[in-house]
Amino acid sequence: MCGIAGIMYKHKGAGKETGETLINMLDCIQHRGPDSTGFALYGDQHYGKLKLRFYVGYEQDNSAIDQIKQAFEKHGASLVEEEHIGENYRAVVNFTGDLQKFAYAMENSSPKATVVSIGESLDIIKDVGGAHDVDGRYDVANFTGTHAIGHVRLATESDVKPEAAHPFWATGFSDVAIVHNGQITNYWKMRRRLERRGFEFRTSNDSELVAVYLAEKMAKGEPLKEALKNAIDDLDGTFSFLVSTKDEIGYAKDHLAAKPMIMFENDDLIAIASEEVSLNRLFPGEALDTHEPPPGSYATWSKST
Amino acid sequence: MVKIDLAKVSVREANEKLRELGEKGESAEIINPDARHHLGVGLTAPINVKIKGSAGYFCAGLTDQAHFDVEANVGWGVGDNMYTGSVVVRGNAGAIPGVAIRGAEIVIHGNMGSRAGQVMKEGTLCCLGNANFMAGYMMYGGRIIILGDSGERLGEDMSAGEIYVAGDLISMGSDAKQVDLEQSDDESVREFLDRYKIPFKGNLKKVMNAGTKLRYAKSEEQVRSIPFFTFSGTSDYWNSKIQEDIHIKSQIGRYRVRGYGGARPLPHFNDISFRKDITHAGNDPDVVSKVEMTTEVGGKYGANPLKLSMPVMIAPMSYGALSRSTKQAIAMASAMSNIAENTGEGGMSDAQRDAADQLIFQMLGGRLGWNIHDMQRADGLEIYISQGAKPGFGGQLMAKKVTKELATIRGIPEGIDLRSPSRHPDILGADDLVIKVEELREATGYRVPVSVKLGAGRVRDDIKIAYKDGFDFVELDGMQGSTGAGGAEVAEYVGIPTIAAISEALEALEEIDASGKLEIILMGGMRDGIDVVKSLALGAHAAAVGTSVLIAGGCIACMQCHVGQCVTGIATQDPEHEKRYKPEVEAKNIHRYLEGVRWQIASLTHALGHKSVHDLSRDDLVALTPEAAEMTKLPYAPEFRDRDATVRAKVS
Repeated sequence: MCGIAGIMYKHKGAGKETGETLINMLDCIQHRGPDSTGFALYGDQHYGKLKLRFYVGYEQDNSAIDQIKQAFEKHGASLVEEEHIGENYRAVVNFTGDLQKFAYAMENSSPKATVVSIGESLDIIKDVGGAHDVDGRYDVANFTGTHAIGHVRLATESDVKPEAAHPFWATGFSDVAIVHNGQITNYWKMRRRLERRGFEFRTSNDSELVAVYLAEKMAKGEPLKEALKNAIDDLDGTFSFLVSTKDEIGYAKDHLAAKPMIMFENDDLIAIASEEVSLNRLFPGEALDTHEPPPGSYATWSKST
Repeated sequence: MVKIDLAKVSVREANEKLRELGEKGESAEIINPDARHHLGVGLTAPINVKIKGSAGYFCAGLTDQAHFDVEANVGWGVGDNMYTGSVVVRGNAGAIPGVAIRGAEIVIHGNMGSRAGQVMKEGTLCCLGNANFMAGYMMYGGRIIILGDSGERLGEDMSAGEIYVAGDLISMGSDAKQVDLEQSDDESVREFLDRYKIPFKGNLKKVMNAGTKLRYAKSEEQVRSIPFFTFSGTSDYWNSKIQEDIHIKSQIGRYRVRGYGGARPLPHFNDISFRKDITHAGNDPDVVSKVEMTTEVGGKYGANPLKLSMPVMIAPMSYGALSRSTKQAIAMASAMSNIAENTGEGGMSDAQRDAADQLIFQMLGGRLGWNIHDMQRADGLEIYISQGAKPGFGGQLMAKKVTKELATIRGIPEGIDLRSPSRHPDILGADDLVIKVEELREATGYRVPVSVKLGAGRVRDDIKIAYKDGFDFVELDGMQGSTGAGGAEVAEYVGIPTIAAISEALEALEEIDASGKLEIILMGGMRDGIDVVKSLALGAHAAAVGTSVLIAGGCIACMQCHVGQCVTGIATQDPEHEKRYKPEVEAKNIHRYLEGVRWQIASLTHALGHKSVHDLSRDDLVALTPEAAEMTKLPYAPEFRDRDATVRAKVS
């Protein structure tokens, strides 16, 4: 019940305004999901360090943030940079240990906080309201980088709250994010399978499942493309989703193709969205040579290095 | 040629401008379209529109006589429901191009998306590139020409029409088969291609319906009907009804089909009563003038609301399930009582339109009888998602009722067992639905309310979607609501009782802080004004009556509505049977019944101490059974069990 969009600039050191671009693309399809809007943005300023975003609310007292900082210390992460922006606490730390363990520990660092994203490159920003509302609260427009994916959501089966907004971070895996339009019908079966292998889930949202599913495959050394191919076989339901990592973006679409998706590619960029109107916003007035991914298809793009 | 710049004006303004230009016979060019939705929707004049770029969803949708030329691509549903006229798309088309067309010509130079020509009735859809899966899905007529490859499952469940493919036949759909190409077919296709200046030298293959699924293999043996009260009897085990079912299934080898809704004992309005002692109800002869009953429906976003003289309207029932005379009588009665009538599935007749003062026009997944002209003369538009007797299933109309006249209105072949699609081609989620709603508003200049009819299934989610997608009101139908034909087990076991449905709906609105912000018209087994008052007190904005209106007009509740030989002339298309039904007489009977309902509503509201029906509230009610208390969260008061019978005796 949503709209999705993604953008990747192909050239090295692109440093493009991915924030601004994605705001525009999502604004065009806001009718598909007026409840909340989210962005997964990839920048290269913090390679070698770890960026964390927590949802802490607007509360004035800093108890949640203090508890998070204590957890940093306890798990050997040293704070480099921090900021309380909107309802988020953003921190940059030096950390070299087991990321999955560290991530689960961060999830439990404070009863008042939840992890939004963790990665060297990834920042997830999501909240209730439209693309411009969220930008106003979190300054998305000034974000530069190589690629980004985003989502507008119409909440049906779960609440309207920031935690239920997309994108979803693959809990426990650095830099993996997903935006998804559709419904996974074998959610519980797949979730139990992953839980038996020790993975934790933060929500009952099927999109988190897709993220963790893909991240697990990649952690085992499978290329993203292979993981997407398997996802189409393993996941039941109707879906179009975009996934992103530090260096790649990709999509998968189920065999029923009930959830729309359309893409445009030229020498500079690849743009994908639920509706062509988002792509045309990047090229006003032009008749674009777009392409609709066939049912049951998947593909990935890497940024040049 | 007048230029309209979509970088400067909204789609709504552009469409208004196009309508003006159409009236004057001028051509238009749309620049900077940038794939916006609903371009040209609702045009009914012979106008040429050039679109310089890409168009979004439903380009040229719901139009007649207009001609469109799109320079680049189009989104989903190009030419939706188009009558005459044409669209030429120079780029690619998204899913369901040519959906439900009724005569238009649509030419796509690039590739086209899945389910091309779904439920199309007449006209030609031509694609120069490749088609995606299920082209011709459930088509009822017309022609699809694919010069590239066919895609998978070509012609899936088509009922009629022709598909021509020049490239590879990738795979055939259910009930489709390749047939020999006649010379006249070949000439006709080439004449079409020549007319659109499409060079073609290849050979064509022809695909048509294989005829294996148009009718049920065996019909049910006619048996003496079991009266409703026996039918709904108290023992589940081996009673005469169960035996009859087993006997008939042993002959036909499939589920049974019947009319009416859930008949087994279920929590209903009888299990709710009034908290206050109102044994004095009915004593005041002049009570109708003392209670405010007028009810407006559907005005929340600025459309012209329906204006009902009491919080009651007629539930949607189709011309098809019912005879034309019955629909006419109901329309007449609705006007006499100054409430609204509803077309149900299958189109609007002139007699019905003329007779009804206020008429809601319903759109179903098969788009049977749906068209721009009747939309524009309706007082409300309604998207049917499902109905209480069979949530999640499509309508059934047995061959006996699919007469030539009826088939023409619906745009389908005569004499098939019509199983209407259970899904809309272009509504696959809340996100698509919002775009569809907007299309209907564009087509009618935002003048009339757009509502949604929901069968009680996943009420909580559905109501939230209805609210968020901006419907003007909801018609919510519980499982006691009837159907003209539905699977027997479905009617008994799939839906949710009416009192549970309204309770869940109101809880859902509360969960999203929308209490009181969405008008819900409750239906599903409303027998009288007492049920209506209880519905209003539970939180419904109004109630709708269907079966009771049929009974007022002579229905004997034999539940054989599906057979088509209704002895009272109500549920039949047989002229000999229909003769027995006198619309003028029955309209008066129905009107008197409706006035009885009015008096009951007034008496009870007055006795409960209210001046207006809109002051009724949950505080007026108690639940008489634990089940009803659980469903409605009303206080459980078994000590009041006698009271309801007393009230019923006083106001009946």
